[in-house]
Amino acid sequence: MEAYFVLVLVALTSLGAGLLQWRRQPRPGETLRAAASRMLEAIGLTIVFFLGNVATGALLTVAARALNLTFISIYLSTDVTLLVLSLLQALVYQRWREARPGS
Amino acid sequence: MGCAARLLGLATVAGFFALAFTPLPNRLHRAFASPPHLAPAEAIVVLGAGATDDYLSERSLRRAVHGLRLFQRGLAPVLVLHGPREGSTEWEAATRAEVARDLGVLPEAIVLAGGRTTGEEARQSWARLSGEGRTRILLVTGSHHMWRARAMFERQGFEVLQAPVEEVAAEADRPELRLGMARSLLQEGMARLVHRLAGAV
Repeated sequence: MEAYFVLVLVALTSLGAGLLQWRRQPRPGETLRAAASRMLEAIGLTIVFFLGNVATGALLTVAARALNLTFISIYLSTDVTLLVLSLLQALVYQRWREARPGS
Repeated sequence: MGCAARLLGLATVAGFFALAFTPLPNRLHRAFASPPHLAPAEAIVVLGAGATDDYLSERSLRRAVHGLRLFQRGLAPVLVLHGPREGSTEWEAATRAEVARDLGVLPEAIVLAGGRTTGEEARQSWARLSGEGRTRILLVTGSHHMWRARAMFERQGFEVLQAPVEEVAAEADRPELRLGMARSLLQEGMARLVHRLAGAV
């Protein structure tokens, strides 16, 4: 049961946020689906950036070792920080792609 | 682009829930982990796992303690402690050796060795031990890492007896622990793939 405690927390706060928005949105179901779709797109972009970052890190590691420049541990490329930074990259990229001049 | 990203996002969310809230990582762990084969050997070789100055990482400490326990059981007369020197700071190996001496291991039974990768550790162990005819070793490393480490040490010429250390809780039931296990499995899976492609194992 402990494993699902965090899900209960998220369900409760999501319910609160949902109730708040349900009154404000003219077509709440439709906008919620659109929001979920954009969230999935942001996560997909995060994975694309993350894989790109990891692959770049692996290439730099192999190149640095092959050329005897310096030693870079392969584990540095799988630091969990990279996932958060990839999320930030994805969010900026997503907003930038949709932005219109003057908006 | 948008549709592909959404599908990838959906797969990622599904994967996240499967890894965090189901026993999937525990099952994958059992498939990845190497079973122990403890028997008398000519040396116990403990692989490095990271340290910052004289602060050993949790994995480094776990491996060192496991090696010490095997030594205290009398399974081998020599304890090889690996760990790279980081610039001018102290060796991970030397910090482990200090712990070993404090816990009653005689200094003459301890061998310090470097190595920044598993391959370097295998070569350094061979350089230290083969001259004395010590080629049957108990290899101490993480249970996920053992398969790859064993292949590298055997390629060097050692007869390897596995002494794996559980570095993640095998029956993790909290989401954070399960994700930690999944990360460890993913790292090792990638490392195996890279080493296979490079012909290193």
